[in-house]
Order: sequence, then structure tokens, then C-alpha cells
Amino acid sequence: MLDYASSRSLPREQPAVLAFLRRLDWVLFGAVAALVAYGLWGVAGITRHDVAGNELYYVVRQAIAIGLGFAGLLLVLAVDPDRFRRAQKPIFAATIALMLLVFALADETRGSKRWLDLGPFQFQPSEFGKLLFVLALAGFLADRVRRLDEARVVLGAVGLAAIPILLVFKQPDLGTSLVYIAALSACLFVAGARWSHLLALAVVGLASIVAVLVLLPKVGVELLEPYQKERLTGFTNPDLDPSGTTYNVTQSITAIGSGGLDGRGVDGATQTRLDYLPEHATDFVFASFAEQRGFLGAALLLGLYLLVVWRALRVITVARDAFGAIAAGGIVFAFLFQVFVNVGMTMGIAPVTGIPLPFVTVGGSSMVVNLLAVGVLLSIHARGVHRGR
Amino acid sequence: MGNWGERRSSSRRFLPADPRVTEPYRFTPQLALRVGVLGAVALAVFAVLVLRLWALQVLSGDRYLVAAQANQVRTLRVEAPRGTIVDRNGKPIVTNVPGTAVQLWPADMPEQGRYRMVQRLASLLQVPVSDITKAIEARRGDPLTPIVVKTAVSEPRVQYLEEHRAEFPGVEVVDTYLRNYERKTLAAQILGYVREISKEELEEKDAVDDYRAGDKIGKAGVEAAFDTYLRGTPGAAQIRVDSLGRPQSAIQTQQFPAPGNDVRLTIDIDLQRAAEQALTFGIERAIENENWYANGGAAVAIDPRDGAILALASNPTYRPSIFAGRVDPRKLAELAKPGANTPALNRAIAGRYPPGSTFKPVTALAAIEEGLLSPYQSIQCTPTRTYGRDEQVFKNWNPYVNEAMTLPTALAASCDTYFYEVGNSFYELPAQRGQPLQKWARAFGFGVKSGLDLGGEDPGLLPTIAWKRRHYTSAIDKLWTPGDSIQLAIGQKDMVATPLQMTRFYALLANRGKLVTPYLVSDVEQPSDGDRPPVVLRRFPPVPPQDVKVSSSALAAIDEGLRAATSAAYGTSVGVFGSFPVPVAGKTGTAEKWNSELNRMLDQSWWCGYGPKAGRKSPIALCVVIENGGFGGEAAAPAALRILEQHYGVEATVIAEVPSD
Repeated sequence: MLDYASSRSLPREQPAVLAFLRRLDWVLFGAVAALVAYGLWGVAGITRHDVAGNELYYVVRQAIAIGLGFAGLLLVLAVDPDRFRRAQKPIFAATIALMLLVFALADETRGSKRWLDLGPFQFQPSEFGKLLFVLALAGFLADRVRRLDEARVVLGAVGLAAIPILLVFKQPDLGTSLVYIAALSACLFVAGARWSHLLALAVVGLASIVAVLVLLPKVGVELLEPYQKERLTGFTNPDLDPSGTTYNVTQSITAIGSGGLDGRGVDGATQTRLDYLPEHATDFVFASFAEQRGFLGAALLLGLYLLVVWRALRVITVARDAFGAIAAGGIVFAFLFQVFVNVGMTMGIAPVTGIPLPFVTVGGSSMVVNLLAVGVLLSIHARGVHRGR
Repeated sequence: MGNWGERRSSSRRFLPADPRVTEPYRFTPQLALRVGVLGAVALAVFAVLVLRLWALQVLSGDRYLVAAQANQVRTLRVEAPRGTIVDRNGKPIVTNVPGTAVQLWPADMPEQGRYRMVQRLASLLQVPVSDITKAIEARRGDPLTPIVVKTAVSEPRVQYLEEHRAEFPGVEVVDTYLRNYERKTLAAQILGYVREISKEELEEKDAVDDYRAGDKIGKAGVEAAFDTYLRGTPGAAQIRVDSLGRPQSAIQTQQFPAPGNDVRLTIDIDLQRAAEQALTFGIERAIENENWYANGGAAVAIDPRDGAILALASNPTYRPSIFAGRVDPRKLAELAKPGANTPALNRAIAGRYPPGSTFKPVTALAAIEEGLLSPYQSIQCTPTRTYGRDEQVFKNWNPYVNEAMTLPTALAASCDTYFYEVGNSFYELPAQRGQPLQKWARAFGFGVKSGLDLGGEDPGLLPTIAWKRRHYTSAIDKLWTPGDSIQLAIGQKDMVATPLQMTRFYALLANRGKLVTPYLVSDVEQPSDGDRPPVVLRRFPPVPPQDVKVSSSALAAIDEGLRAATSAAYGTSVGVFGSFPVPVAGKTGTAEKWNSELNRMLDQSWWCGYGPKAGRKSPIALCVVIENGGFGGEAAAPAALRILEQHYGVEATVIAEVPSD
């Protein structure tokens, strides 16, 4: 395998690489790897009956995405995070350009423009946008971290962030725009914005939600499509229309509940197998997982997520610079928000929005981006300040 | 790297980068607090998720498991074979044959090319495309009740469908039961027909009876009146389906259907056939006698002892089989055509005819009971008589007669003027005596339904003073005139009776004064099972005949007259019945009925009578009416003879039709 010459050149290189490897957060990496593997195993069961004659159709595609994602993770690992800060403007421009590209090129898919067709694969720009958005925003905030007590800096950041948020919202992809908002909040929070400013923003945010859902419709202005509104408000009253808007949620809760303590297995999980549970490989993948693997299996999945979140929060504390801390904060909170909204939605305690479940939902873009984001986290960690070493 | 907003404003940089950023970054206690807050949020989030998961899966998992299982198991109804209808001797009239039905499960149809598939299916089965699309539309939202596209599908077509299964997703060939009318048109109007239950019927039916969409239900006749006995109890089967209702497993029977019970009629199918053929024969005779408009008729034969109906025929008739399986709208349209003369109408129970001379015994009995007439007093039978202030002339059918007659003779010769006198004596009764003729006629069953178990009866019309006042608008028409009484006496003008009502009255004459309640169904039976004979589940005993309290002497005089009518030289139907070996009694009738199309009166040909018990043959009361058939002696009487010949199993040797009322 190795020729002599190259193995001889190793001693020079080895210490740097080894030092870097030692500084990697192996727990985070291991947790993510376990999550990805566990998720793929779950998806294998969930999608076994989805494509007639090809039980592994989705598994193979998902595995390809995982391979690409880990390759990307390694590449990101080699990049100093500060490069992203310095490239914040091109990154921001790329974020906006991707979204405009969606409007320009995308076919109408299920009433929304979210996908770009790239031959046999589809490319979902708003997923990549999540990471790019956080990096650009973190760069902007890191450059002004000492002036964040000024309201205009906070407002400037919010104003800049509003552009991609509105573009995603217009796609329309309400769920992803909510993820952006969550990431924005976390970035401001970690960057050190004043509590009073954060409170004011929260009040404005709540007021605008009330306005969009309640006040504006009363005067005849509808910013949300009717289906979006029903999904957002439907979870508060699931029995309103069990066969209509809240059908998915009702079936999802039934699926989860029927899983019991140890699950119904792949063939016994009729909610999934007989298609009672729609979108069981994507938005409602957690419900299928819980139906097939039961409380034990699903709780283990949540435990892995908690482990990832914990290690990612730790990255904030070891970050070398403000950019690393803010970016890590944005990434981890976006991640936490997605897990909560997706899992909560399947159990009827969060609104129905098309947010994927990180590392499990079948979908290449989401998988690749989440692994890239983990790469960024690992990179920040590896180049961080490690007290006591 | 420049800063934000550079391009927008060259004079002033937008939120320029802070020079202090170059200071080394420190993990401050403030940031530690914030990370701690984020950590707390994360813990709270996971706590909520895990608790909710615990609540759903562990605390109420069993309930959701039941819900999930109920989700995919659908219970289907399994059609029960319908009971057969048998005649009084147990001979089947309507049975079932297994047939194939082509069903369409809308949920299974392809998204693409749906319409093309329906078109192909329609042309293969020769069913209009619009019928299928309409049915699909009607069943929207109910994917588990398949649409029956066609029943009784021929074998080659079934084979074609089986061979090209893949091209017809959602199409199933299933076994079903079809009504089989082995005796073609026999008793068509009595039996009625069976079809899929309509939306309106479904709403009407009690929940107890458990009718569902897609069930078959009797729509007329015995099939409708005794549907609850005939239909049986559908079985239940379960099938696993996916969320679109597509079957995922074979159908598993949970409960086998209980076949419907047999219904035994009082009809004797041999006599029924004879009666139906007799009507055709009577119509032919009428046409031969230049009564060109003869086009229908009815015959009723009942056992005068208890009212059991032996035959109930109506002409024109139809094949009930056109309703079995998928109905061809063209054949239905044929039934409804004006020229078809309403074949689905059961004229025997719902045909409205003036009874004419066959009503004369009613008048005679009423007059004797009211003391207006003594059977053997003589009244001159003149060619005409004149009544009323306007001196209206009423004619006898036979202008050549002029002799004194007693009641039996007047009945036998059917003298109209004799009965005009009787009718007039009713008219001249003081007002406080009321309307005794109508009172007695009602007691004999006229103007009211007989209570036949089949339903669908017409009550006829017995005109009274009150009725005239109610019915007419102008003051003159409202008046009860001598003509009303006189014409009622011979069963004309407004008087309308059904053949069943007439037969019921002649049964009363035959049994000497007892009014029977006619009935068609004698019992409901569990079908015989090979060796075991059928078990009677429910008997419908005849309603005890009701004594109308007329004197036997009066009845005897009527009987004498009706016997003379068939046997005496002056009898109106002696030419027909003179050589018949069984002593039957009967009355001809030639009733004028207004035909609004031709704008003139047409004669309705009647014969009503009765015959005795002879050996093992039951007594019989019988009425035959031939619509527009001319004289009673020309069409109805010969037809009645045919029925009597079948009943007694003997034949008349010489038949001479007589143009006589």
C-alpha cells in the first residue's frame, strides 16, 4: 500500500496531523457518525416497502449522500474557520444568488419552488443556505462584536438577515425560514447582543406572528397561503378536521403511539407500510422510526441528538475567536430547532412545517449540509483554545 | 476584505468593522451564562420531546395500537343469496343463479389514463361511459364500496378481463347472485323486481334493517313487500387495505351470509299461466270481433273460502329479467313508451275500470236488504226508461226485449231497465235513509282497498253525494241526480272498481255472504336442505272472512240468476259456459269507459263468476276484464272459461261467443 518513500516522509508531517487529530472532538464526531448510521438503519426499515422490487432504493441514495457529506466534512475540516469570516460577503452573495436561482429555474414542486434538478439528483438550495447564512451572519457579527450593544448594529444584522429569510419565505418554504430566524436569534444571542434588545426583538417577532395569523387576515391581507396557516394553527386543535389538514398529524400520532415500548418492527408497522402515514421517509420520518423501533429506539435517537447538541454547545466555549463562537451557536441552535420542530410536529406539539429531521430524513441536500456544518463545528473545535492542555 | 454597504455609500461605510476586534477573543462569564441558557433550552426541549414520546408510546400505546389496527382492516359486506319465491305447491317462480359481476374500485384506478381505461371497459362490457363516470362521481369519498359496472357478464368477456388484468387496474370480476325468472313473464307484476338500493330508499329505511349502499332491494311487488324476509343477512368479510383503500390481502370471511328465506305464494303457477294466456286469448277474441282497441286486461282468481289468490294476471306484461343485472336503459324506455300501455302496472289490483253489469248483484243485494226489492217481484224489462225532470231516456242494451222479469231472470238476461228501476228507487228514498246502495257497496269492499298483503292497490271509486260535492266545481255537477243513482245501479258513470275488488265481491257471493281479505303470501320458509323439508318460519294466516249480514234468501236469488246466466237459454254467457261440465255461475259486463284519446266511449269486456268445490279442486271466484274488448260475452267470458277449464281440468265442448252484456 504505502511505498517506502512516502512512509519516510511521514515523520515530518505526522506530528502536525496527529496533533490536529488529537484536538478533534471525537465524541462529537462519534456521536454524529452513530446518528448517521442509526438513521440509515432506521431509513432502511422505513423505506423497505416504498419502492416495489427495490427495498434498498432510498438506502443507496442516502448512503451516497452520506459519503459525499463525509467527504465534504473532511474538506471543511482542513479549512481554517476564519476564512469563512473573511469570505463573508461572497458567502452572503452566494446565499442570495442560490435563492434567486431557485426562483429563476425551479420547477413547481408541490406548489413550492424548493428544488433544482441536477440530473438524477435534486439540489435543495435552502438547505445549503442554512449553513451559508449562519457563516455570513456570524462573520458580520464577529467583525462588530464589540459594538453589539448598539441597537443599530443589531438592527443592521437583522436587516441583512431579513433578505434571505424573506426569499426563502417566498419560495415558499415557511419551515426553513423559521430555521433561519432561529439561527439569527442564536447568533445575536451568542455574539452578545443586549438582553433588552433581544427582548425587544422577541416582542416584535411575536407581534408580527400575531399580525400575520390574526390581525392582517381580519383586514383582508393574507401573507400566508391558507394551507400554511392551517398547518401552523392545526396542531393546537388536532380533532378539528381529522381527515383534512390535520390528517397527517393524526396518523403520525397514531403511528408513534402504536409503536409502544419496543416497536412494531418493519413488517408490523402498518401505518408506515400501508402508507397511512404520508411523507414517512421525509417530514414524518420520526413517526415511522418510533412506530418501527418503539420508545426505546426513538429515545435512543433523541439521546444521540442531545449528545450532539451538548458537544456542539461545548464548541462555543472553546472557540478561538468570536466568529467561531457565533457560528457554532448559530449552527447548534438551528440544529436544535430543526430537531424540536420536526419531532414535535410528528407528536402534535409543534406546527406542521416541512423541516427535515437532521441526519435521518431521506434527502441528500440536508444530509450533506448537516455533515458540512458538523465539519465547521469540528474545525472550530480543533482550532480552539483548549485550557488544561 | 471590505465591509458591508461599501457599494451603497462611498462616503460613509455601513457599520464599519470594529477596530477592537483585533483584541484577543476571550470566553467571558457573560458568554458562559449565555451558553448555559442555550444548554438549558436544549435540555428543556429534549425533556419535552421525551416526555411526550413516553406519554404516547408507553402510557397510551395500547390505545394507538388499536387505532392503527382499525385503520387498515375494512369490513365488507358479503351478499347473501336472496330467497326464492315459490308457488302454493312449492314450484319455484323466481330463483337465483350465480353470476359474475364486474366491479370497479375507484381507489385502485390509475391516476393516468383513468378515462381511457373507463372507455375501454365501457366498450368491452357495452355499458355507456357516462354511466360509469356518474357512478364513480356518486361514490366519491367511499372507496370501499365498489361500483358494479355490470352483472351477468358473458363468459368470453370475463375471460378477456382476466387475461388482460394488468390493463384494467381496479377492475374485479366477482361472483354474485342474479334473479332468475325461469318462467319468463309469468307473474311479472306480482313478483316485482330487485335492484340496487337508491339514495332515497336508503334514507327512508330504518337503521334496524341495516341497509347499506350497494345492497339490492326489492323495488316492486312481492320482492318489495317481503324484502325483509327475502334478502337474508349479509355476511361480513375483512380485508386489509392501505390508506387509499387498495386491498392488501385476500378477502377473509368473518361471518358467512345467511341466505334469504323463501316466500310461498298462494298462486298456482299453472292457473297463473292459464290466466295470463287467457288474457291474450281474450284480447285476440275481442280484436277478431272488431274491437280494434282491445289492448290489455286483468284476471283475478281467488279461493272464496279464505281469500287466497290463485292467479293474478295483468296484460300487457314484461320480462322482469330486464331488471336483473345491469339494466339496459333502452329496454326500460320501451316499458315507458305510450304504445307499451304500461306493462309494469298491475291492472288486477290497480286497474280502474267501470264494473258495468257485473255490479248488478251489488245493487240487487242492497235493494233486497233495504226492502226496496223482492227477488221474485216482476218488473217490466223495457227497451228504454225515462227518468228525472229533464226526462232523460235510459236505454237497455237489448232494444228488442219487453217482458216482465224477476230478479234471477233480470240478472241472467242482464236487463238494464230492470236495474234502472231499482236504482231509481234508491234515488227516491227520503234523505234520512242516507245512501244505502253505497253503504252496502262499501260493506262489499268497494271504494276501499282490500288489504292485500302485496300493497300497491287502488281503492277504486264509489261515488257518493259527498264525493260529488267535493269532486266537482260547478254547482250543477255537484248535484246528485237520478242519473247518478240509476247509472250506479249498473256500475257505470263515476263508479270505478279494480278486478280484485270485483273478485272479492263474487267470492262473497260464492261463500254466501262473507267478505274475505285476499292474500298472496301464505308463509315464509327456510328453504329445504336436501332431505329436510322446508321449515315454515312464519305463517301468514288468512284474515277470517267477515260476515256482511245479508240474508241467505237474497244470496240464493242472486245465485239462481248467475247460474241461469251461464246455463239458461236466455243467459248472457250460455253460449260460452253452456257445455262446461262444472256448474259455474257468473255475470257478464260491458262497461262503457271514456277514452280520451279517441274521444268516445269504449266497451270494457267483463266476466265475473264463481265455481264450486269439485273433488280436490277448490272453489273459485274469478273475474276477467278485457280492456276495450267489447261485449262481456265476446271476450272476457271466453277468457274466463279458459281459466276455469284449467282450474277444474275439464273442457267445454261447444263454445259460441255471444255478443251480449
